Amino acid sequence: MSEVVVENLTKKFGNNVVLDNIDLKIDAKEYFVLLGPSGSGKTTLLRLIAGLEEITAGSIYIAGKKVNDMLPKERNVAMVFQNYALYPHLNVYENISLPLKVRHLGPEKVKEKVKTVAETLHIEDLLQKKPKQISGGQQQRVALARALVRDPSVFLLDEPLSNLDAKLRVEARVFLKKLQKELGITTIFVTHDQAEASTMATKIAVLNKGAITQVDNPYDLYRRPNDVFTASFVGSPAMNLVRGVIRRAISGNAWTFSNEDISVSLKDIKLDADGLEVFMGIRPEHVRVVERGKGGIDSTVSVVEPLGSVTYVTVNVGKTQLILQYPGEIKLDMGSSIKIQLDPEGLLLYAVDTGKRLAIDE
Amino acid sequence: MKAMTVVVIILLTIVSLVYIFPIYWTLVTAVKTSLQIFTYPPIFFPTRFTLSNFYTAGNIFGAVSQTAVGSVPWMIDSTIVAIIATLASTFLIAAPAAYSLVRYIKSVWLGRLILFMTMIPEAVFMVPFFLIVVKINLLNTWWGLILVYISFTAPFATWLLMGFFNDIPKSVEEAAEIDGLSPYQIFYRISLRLVIPGIIAALILNFISCWNELLYALILTYSPFPAGAQTVPLFLTSFIIVEKSFAWGGLAAAGIFTMLPTIILGIYAQKYLARGLTMGAVKG
Repeated sequence: MSEVVVENLTKKFGNNVVLDNIDLKIDAKEYFVLLGPSGSGKTTLLRLIAGLEEITAGSIYIAGKKVNDMLPKERNVAMVFQNYALYPHLNVYENISLPLKVRHLGPEKVKEKVKTVAETLHIEDLLQKKPKQISGGQQQRVALARALVRDPSVFLLDEPLSNLDAKLRVEARVFLKKLQKELGITTIFVTHDQAEASTMATKIAVLNKGAITQVDNPYDLYRRPNDVFTASFVGSPAMNLVRGVIRRAISGNAWTFSNEDISVSLKDIKLDADGLEVFMGIRPEHVRVVERGKGGIDSTVSVVEPLGSVTYVTVNVGKTQLILQYPGEIKLDMGSSIKIQLDPEGLLLYAVDTGKRLAIDE
Repeated sequence: MKAMTVVVIILLTIVSLVYIFPIYWTLVTAVKTSLQIFTYPPIFFPTRFTLSNFYTAGNIFGAVSQTAVGSVPWMIDSTIVAIIATLASTFLIAAPAAYSLVRYIKSVWLGRLILFMTMIPEAVFMVPFFLIVVKINLLNTWWGLILVYISFTAPFATWLLMGFFNDIPKSVEEAAEIDGLSPYQIFYRISLRLVIPGIIAALILNFISCWNELLYALILTYSPFPAGAQTVPLFLTSFIIVEKSFAWGGLAAAGIFTMLPTIILGIYAQKYLARGLTMGAVKG
């Protein structure tokens, strides 16, 4: 079983620290996604695992073996590049068979393996074509075939879907997820697209500025982001983050979050946090529109974005801007006033100074 | 826009004429009789043609030179020297050097130094090269010329190929590395194949400069095949009979013979010299 373990990994390019003391454990057969904005170091981490970059400090283990000083070919990893990196002068068959040929596999065996993998990826008809004669989606499958043909222990994918158009990308997402499940290969997938990450991953690591902010399954990552960065990066549209102060009532244990525009009562907080400056985080689906006469906060509609199944409405409460997700269609005029309510179940608090989530109910 | 196109076409026509005229002049001189050659004003469009310049010896004031069709021994020398020097300098030196400079050494400074070396006038090395070739006993041999020509053509070919190797997306080589190819296999099976247009351009340009080279052929050889290694530019000098007297008809006829290979190669090279050939499978 090929688990990948990363210990105290640091990578510097000159004086520029790209990855700072990373620890990561990727279980065998996991579909693991490295998610982060550009410059977060996610691709560098993947390249370090592949052996394309030299480690500055720390170690990487694949299937229990330390691979720091191993060449890429000795690590038995396969990689699919963002631009597919097919060999332009070779046809599809030669592209897929090259990794086998350099391993001195017999010609019969090579033929058989290429045939099997080509069938799995539905590219049997393309084998005699050159890479430039086939479409982007087909090129991507050829790149996958070339990676899979030699039964790698770890499968590395560097934004392989970013060059596909929207429709193909959704297809490829489903296809890759199914394929990975069938083959059961430990897969590490790099992307900056959080939708891609949460639809495919069994586990996601979020990277920001060379450090991991959170490692979690897609559900928990979405529900309980650990810090302000993760909260704002995961989810689209982004989580509402409202700056304010939390205070304990003079008598009893009632807490309130308030700024100049909004005041919200909170659940019991067992922390010594009276007067702490916080960001209140709330996902758009936890901001609800309330019918007239049933209380709620006064707000003014500023933008309406109908998507069919849901409608995103941006509202202003004083100077505070919130985005809410309305299930289904809603007709609202810009500038009209509506009442909204914040679902207390969806409230998260982040300390302003550290950016970390406050453990208010744990 | 339209007016611009017309101006461009006119300018290109003028430039083309400037380049084509000497070739045309050689061609018509080769088929003129000696009387027509020396007519003043000159005949630009002859109406009567002769082929005698190609097989009769050049003749000026009764002195006799070579015949144009007698160029075979010099042609043999030129062909062998140019082909071996070109292949050796391109494949044995330029391609590996360019690849390692681009991928491993990554020194801009060294790359510039190589470009600078192509700018040094070849005549600068006349005395040392002559002494070296004499010392190693290669005077008047193919190998003497070949060694000198390799040293002149390799820097240019290296510099040319560096550009081509630079254009190969790094990810293609990294994919090969992960696929299990050794550095040598990556060079030979992937990168070298992707710069074939550059290799062809280098081969042809090197061949042309070896074929046309006069100065070193003049000082390093003194007799043609089979005894020596005189190349065709020296054959052409045999049409200069006495000082300032040229067997023009024979010289023009021989000139056409000797420029044929370079013209054919030049036409063939055109499309390879046009850079920016797309790399098929690689986007962005």
